[in-house]
Amino acid sequence: MPYKIIDKKELAMNEVWYKIHAPHVAKKVQPGQFVVVRAFPNGERIPLTPVTWNREEGWITLVTFIRGKTTMRMANELKPGDEILNIAGPLGKPAPMKKFGKILAIGLITGIVEVFPIARAWQEIGNEVTTLHVSPNPMVILKEEFEQSVSRHIVEGFDLQPGWGMKEIAQELVKRAVAKVNELLDSEHWDLVFIVGPAGGQKAIFNVVKEYGIPMEADLHPIMVDATGMCGACRVTVGGEVKFACIDGPSFDAYKVNWDELIHRTGFYAPLERLALEHYLKQLQAQGGEQ
Amino acid sequence: MPRRKLIKERVPTPERPPEERIKDFKEVNLGYTFELAVKEAERCLQCPYEYAPCIKGCPVHIDIPGFISKLVEYRDDPDKAVKEALNVIWACNSLPATTGRVCPQEDQCEMNCVMGKVGDKINIGKLERFVADYAREKGIDEELLFEIIPKIEKKGQKVAIIGAGPAGLTAAGELAKLGYDVTIFEALHEAGGVLMYGIPEFRLPKEVVNKEIEKLRKLGVKILTDHVVGRTVTIEELLEEYDAVFIGSGAGTPKLVNAPGVNLNGIYTANEFLTRVNLMKAYLFPEYDTPVYVGKKVIVIGAGNTAMDAARSARRFGAEVTIAYRRGEEDVSAREEEVEHAREEGIKFEFFLNPVEFIGDENGKVNAVKFEKMKPLEETDARGKRKIVGTGEYITLEADTVIIAIGKHPNRLIINTPGLKVERGKIVVDENLMTSIPGVFAGGDAIRGEATVILAMGDGRKAAKAIHEYLTKKREWQNA
Ligand SMILES: Cc1cc2nc3c(=O)[nH]c(=O)nc-3n(C[C@H](O)[C@H](O)[C@H](O)COP(=O)(O)OP(=O)(O)OC[C@H]3O[C@@H](n4cnc5c(N)ncnc54)[C@H](O)[C@@H]3O)c2cc1C
Ligand SMILES: Cc1cc2nc3c(=O)[nH]c(=O)nc-3n(C[C@H](O)[C@H](O)[C@H](O)COP(=O)(O)OP(=O)(O)OC[C@H]3O[C@@H](n4cnc5c(N)ncnc54)[C@H](O)[C@@H]3O)c2cc1C
Ligand code: SF4
Ligand code: SF4
Ligand code: FES
Repeated sequence: MPYKIIDKKELAMNEVWYKIHAPHVAKKVQPGQFVVVRAFPNGERIPLTPVTWNREEGWITLVTFIRGKTTMRMANELKPGDEILNIAGPLGKPAPMKKFGKILAIGLITGIVEVFPIARAWQEIGNEVTTLHVSPNPMVILKEEFEQSVSRHIVEGFDLQPGWGMKEIAQELVKRAVAKVNELLDSEHWDLVFIVGPAGGQKAIFNVVKEYGIPMEADLHPIMVDATGMCGACRVTVGGEVKFACIDGPSFDAYKVNWDELIHRTGFYAPLERLALEHYLKQLQAQGGEQ
Repeated sequence: MPRRKLIKERVPTPERPPEERIKDFKEVNLGYTFELAVKEAERCLQCPYEYAPCIKGCPVHIDIPGFISKLVEYRDDPDKAVKEALNVIWACNSLPATTGRVCPQEDQCEMNCVMGKVGDKINIGKLERFVADYAREKGIDEELLFEIIPKIEKKGQKVAIIGAGPAGLTAAGELAKLGYDVTIFEALHEAGGVLMYGIPEFRLPKEVVNKEIEKLRKLGVKILTDHVVGRTVTIEELLEEYDAVFIGSGAGTPKLVNAPGVNLNGIYTANEFLTRVNLMKAYLFPEYDTPVYVGKKVIVIGAGNTAMDAARSARRFGAEVTIAYRRGEEDVSAREEEVEHAREEGIKFEFFLNPVEFIGDENGKVNAVKFEKMKPLEETDARGKRKIVGTGEYITLEADTVIIAIGKHPNRLIINTPGLKVERGKIVVDENLMTSIPGVFAGGDAIRGEATVILAMGDGRKAAKAIHEYLTKKREWQNA
């Protein structure tokens, strides 16, 4: 069932925004839910999050962070007017829409896009929402949208240093995030902390939050295949029980999550993912050579 | 007429040698040619319809001597022979290319075949497959379909089908032939259910399944992939737009071994492993994007069809594969042919081993499985299997990949529908396959738990009939 790309643009370095006609998703999606996208005939199924949508016009928007083969290939090969082969969803449980009080919602790098629909909805129903975006500077996005939608939006940007790789960026990211969260928790009262980001960063923030005993929800991103509950790839241990993040989550009580297991499981395919990316880059080179 | 001499031995179907086939995912059994099929068909004693034990053994009661006789009768005109035979099969079974390949024939149609008393039983499965394959290759099935299509009388009523597995596909086909406007809602990006994501290419080529689905489309069936019922649309919403609903959502939720370490890396459920390999074509990685990790030593836990498929798939990645089962050889539930093929392909079997712990390294990756040795008792359980108990003795086997194939529960998203009666995860239906919600019917693994393709198809057909009756009444009311 192909879905037409209405518009596409680069939001920031390595961050691409797509507006896509997907009426079945637009009609039903709630904040906290996601979709599974399969973009190419030989492509994989990857989970992504609708950031905004229009139920009447039948479109959704997605933002991808270029991480590996699929997200890069989408950025390179898809243009407005093209079609995405499959978009399944909406999937997962909606975020709980309750009055918690004062909420700190954190997005690490592109994780901020997933915070957007939830934070906005929480604010709308009467919560006082502060959003925190921690990100290297060329990747600060959605700033105005947040400023219009929540009580307060904080950007903790940092500049990239020459010679930094992914590892150094991740270290700096976590360092900045931990420091900022410490500062915010120390100086104000909070009723809930919510976070989207890489599992390692989530765990580091959780270690801060638990010192204050503040309730915390984390949006987990284990590897998914079908995302309909039939494969168990996305299993996580929560409160000692095995849960399937795609149908029981993706959001869980951070106090109950087995973080180390999640970190191990999300990293498992890294060597094979690198292989896939290299294979793709070689293909690109070969094509470039022919032209 | 003088009696023919009995031919006691089966005409064998050609198979690719194990050392060749474990290097790829192409089909293992090559099936009959017309000549060979006729030779095998000639062996059938043509038992009378009312008596034939083969017909009684087939869950959908195909007129087996009936279709077999056509092959002999029209032996001089292969196309005609196949068309006539297919017509007989289609009266009861719309997916013969699939069932001919995957039915557990030894427990069904072939179980009590009379020829078995004097020699080999008739190879009914392979004959059925031959008819379907020949028809597909020559376009005879479409010819037959196009003879049906113009005769369809539109009823003006709409039916929604949830799930495009054998149950849903069969119900859809039958209802379309009865003139209903049918839409299938399928969660995945391809239709076929287990036929597509579970059963591997080397046993059931995906081309065969795709052709069946194309035929449904020609009958006017709409298939909406990417639609997860319970999320994209609910059953209540479907009932507002459709006159009836059929649930064929299968039993897709994998059971996990309840033992420490089950979430270590390298431990797959069979569903995940097979979905990566079959649906996502991980055996063609990195040409296809989805990876799968198959180590050097693979342990598969369980001994059903799923376990055999997982083991044989892993073998095709070059791994040394062991099947570990907590019961004995006599309780292996997989089809005979699969077990034989698995053995030929060098897969080892270990019986009376029950996993109690998965052992991993410092990176959270599995490297061994600890089993308790079990022993059988004389006593049998409700299913007639010998009970087993632990011996207190343990054994640890090395493994860098583990595949758990110990069964599945019905899919969860549907069974949470308000008002839908469910017992132990299975949807409860009456004798007409209607659920506790009026106008909503169900069949296949969703009501049975893990069963078989032919039972799912049988349900699809039965439900189609019941839905037809239900909607006929509804029409009469509305017109009254
Ligand atoms: C519920 C959910 C919502 C998400 N929403 C977004 C979003 O809105 N924007 C965004 O950029 N990313 C989102 N992600 C992450 C996104 O799925 C991965 O970035 C994407 O799969 C990477 O694919 P790749 O081929 O480009 O990279 P790869 O090289 O294949 O993978 C890079 C890393 O991405 C993760 N990943 C890879 N495959 C999967 C998979 N099938 N499922 C989950 N994670 C995977 C792994 O951690 C992996 O190490 C979401 C993930 C989940 C689970
Ligand atoms: C690996 C394996 C090997 C097997 N081998 C054999 C064999 O050799 N012989 C045999 O007879 N049987 C075999 N079986 C069993 C057989 O495949 C099943 O009994 C049969 O497929 C059941 O059919 P079904 O239509 O009820 O469900 P399924 O085939 O499971 O199809 C259900 C469909 O519904 C879809 N679905 C589920 N939930 C939703 C939802 N919420 N919304 C929309 N769609 C949904 C699923 O994606 C799927 O496509 C095997 C099973 C497995 C797993
Ligand atoms: S449908 Fe299955 S059981 Fe029935 S005749 Fe065919 S192979 Fe045998
Ligand atoms: S029981 Fe065997 S011999 Fe008799 S009709 Fe059936 S297939 Fe032929
Ligand atoms: S991704 Fe397969 S069960 Fe969640």
